[in-house]
Amino acid sequence: MSKVSVKVVDVHKTYKSGDIEVAALRGVSFQINRGEFAAIVGPSGSGKSTLMNLLGTIDKPTQGEVYIDGIATSKMGNDQLAEFRNKKLGFIFQAFNLINGLDAEHNVMLPLVVTDMPEAEGRRKADALLERLGLGGRLHLPPTKLSGGEQQRVAVARALVNDPALILADEPTGDLDTKSGENVVKLLRSISREQSVTVVMVTHNLDITKYCDRIIYIRDGKKEKEKVVK
Amino acid sequence: MNLKDILWLSYKDLSEKRVRTTLTVIMVVIGVASIVALISQTAGISASIQSALSTLGPTSIILMSSRPTGFSVIDTSQLSTLPNVSAVVPIVSGSAYALANGQNVSVTVIGVSTAGLHQLIGNTSLYSGVLYQDALSPSTVIGYDVAFPTSMQGQQNIKVGQPMTLHFFGKSGLASTVPVSGIINPFGTSIIPVDTAAMMSLPEAQALLQRNSYNIILVKASNTSSVTPLSNLITNIYGSNARVITTQQLLQTTATIIGSITLLLGVIAGISLVVAAIGIMNIMLIAVYERTHEIGIMKSLGFKRKHILMIFLTQALLIGMIGGVVGIATGVGASYSLSAIISSASSQPSANATANSGATGRGGGVALRGGPGGGQTFIGGGGGGGPSSTSYSPVFSLGTMLAALLVAMLVSVIAGIYPAWRASQMEPIDALRQL
Repeated sequence: MSKVSVKVVDVHKTYKSGDIEVAALRGVSFQINRGEFAAIVGPSGSGKSTLMNLLGTIDKPTQGEVYIDGIATSKMGNDQLAEFRNKKLGFIFQAFNLINGLDAEHNVMLPLVVTDMPEAEGRRKADALLERLGLGGRLHLPPTKLSGGEQQRVAVARALVNDPALILADEPTGDLDTKSGENVVKLLRSISREQSVTVVMVTHNLDITKYCDRIIYIRDGKKEKEKVVK
Repeated sequence: MNLKDILWLSYKDLSEKRVRTTLTVIMVVIGVASIVALISQTAGISASIQSALSTLGPTSIILMSSRPTGFSVIDTSQLSTLPNVSAVVPIVSGSAYALANGQNVSVTVIGVSTAGLHQLIGNTSLYSGVLYQDALSPSTVIGYDVAFPTSMQGQQNIKVGQPMTLHFFGKSGLASTVPVSGIINPFGTSIIPVDTAAMMSLPEAQALLQRNSYNIILVKASNTSSVTPLSNLITNIYGSNARVITTQQLLQTTATIIGSITLLLGVIAGISLVVAAIGIMNIMLIAVYERTHEIGIMKSLGFKRKHILMIFLTQALLIGMIGGVVGIATGVGASYSLSAIISSASSQPSANATANSGATGRGGGVALRGGPGGGQTFIGGGGGGGPSSTSYSPVFSLGTMLAALLVAMLVSVIAGIYPAWRASQMEPIDALRQL
C-alpha cells in the first residue's frame, strides 16, 4: 500500500444560491501520508469545512478529485459511498452528533449495525474502546447524562470502532473547554501514532495544532501554505 | 443489518416519543377494534337468525293465508295429498296481551296440536307444570318471559295453576281467562317466539280468537331437495290466496341482507383505518423531519438508503402490529358489551308498536304474522306489536381477526412508505446541517 493516505487534486467546489454562485474552494491540492495527524486551519468562510465534507465523501467536488487510500471518490454512487464511509472513515464532529436515544455503548456500535459483524463481537469491541477511553463505567448512560468531554470521547470511540483508515475530526474541540479539548487532541494524536491511522482535523484554534504533524492553511478557498512538522 | 438491529433502531424512536406513539397506536386500535366488533356483531346476528330459523328445520314450508277466511280442514287434507309431504300442521295465531297479577305482557297466542308443536319447536322442555291437551279445554302453556316478565326483572309473575286473562288486539272487548298449565323453559331466539307465547290446543285458540279456520299452515317436505318443487307447487295452487315461504328462502334472504350489512359495516370500519393511515403518515413525516439530523449521522456512518427505509418502515409496521393486536382485544371486549346493549335494547317491549297494531286492527299473529293484511316480516318483533327477543352473542372467527391484523399492518406500512422514502433520500450533508 502506498504511504499516501489522502490525496486532494485541484479541487473546486462551487455552491449555487439562486443565481449567485459561491466558490467555496478554488483549486486546492495537497496530500497527507498514512499515520499522520494533520490539521486544516483557516478563518471561518475559508472553505475548510467544505474541504472536510469532501474528504468525508458526504459532498462531491465540482471539479478535481479526492483520493482516499488511492480510491477516487467523486465518481461513486450514494450507496457505494455509504459503504466506503462505513469501512474506511471515522467521523468526529464539533457537536459530537451522538444519538440521544441510545446509550454510549450503542452509539459506538451504530456503525457496525450495517456490517456483517456479529452483535456480540461488536459489543465487545465497543466496550473495549470505551474502556480504553476511560468510559468503562459509563457504557449504559445516554449522551445527555455525559459531560462534553465524555461525549466527545464516545464519538472518538464510535469513529474508531470500524477500524477506519482515516479519521475526520471537524472542530472536535469547538464545544469543549480548554482542558477537555486538549485531552481529545492528545487522544487523536496517540491514535494516529499507535494505530497508524490518518487523522485529519479541521480547526480554527491554532493553539492545538502544535500536536499535529502537518498543518494545511486554507484561505479564500485556496491553500495558503502548508507546514510539515518533523 | 439484521432483524434485531432494525427492530431496536425502530423501537427506539417509538419508545422515545411515548405519548405520540400511544396516540398513533390508538388510531389503529380504533380501526381494528371497530372492524372486529362490527363484523362479529353481524356474524353473531346472522348465526342467531340461522339458529332461529333452524328450529323449524330446512324442510319447512309456511303458508300464510291472504284470505280473511283463512285455511280450513279442506286445505290441510288437500296439502297432505301432495307428493313429498311428510307433515301438515295447521296453526292459529293472534296477538294479545296477558293480564295477570296486575302485570301486562304482550303475548303471541299460538294454537297448535301437541304433535304440531313438536314439528314447530321440537321437544318441549317444561320449567314447571304439564303440556295442554289436544282438546277444547281451557289451559295454556306459556313462554318463560310471560311467566317471568322483563318488567319484573326476572321475578315470577305467573305460576302454574293461576289464571291469566288474554285481551285480543283488534277485537275490542274480547277477553278470556285461561288457567296456566305449564311454563316452558327459556327457549331463546327462534322464528316462533316461544318465550313470549301462550300456546294452547287448536280448538281452544280458535274458540278464544272466535274463528274456525287457521291462518297458518306448516308443511314439512319429506326431504330438503323436494322443498323447492313442493313450494312451487303450493304457490301454483294457492296463487294470491296464500303467501308461501320456505326456511331455505328465508336463510338465503337473511344471508344476503347480512352480507350487505357486513360489507357496509366493514367499509365504515375501514374508513377509520384509512383515517388511522393518514394519522400514521402524518406522525411519520413529523418523525422523519425531527430525525433529519439523526438520519444525517447514520448516513455519514455508512447507513445506506435501504437501511434508513427499513428502519422507518419497520416503525410503521410496529405501530400497525401493536395497534392490531390491541385492537383485536379491544374489539372482542367491545363486541360483548355491544351485543349486550343491542340485545337488551331490542328485548324491551315496544308500547307504541303494540298500540299501533291494536288500533289498526290488523289480523295475524305477532310472530307468525302474514295473515290477512299482515306485515311483511315473518319473524317476531319489528314493526308489529309484541316483544321481540333478538338476543345473540358476537361470533369471532380466527380468519376475521387475522385479516384485521393483516390489514392494520398493511395499511400502516403503506402509510409509512412515503415518509420512509423521504428519509432514505436525504443527502447526509443536508441532513447533518439540520438540527
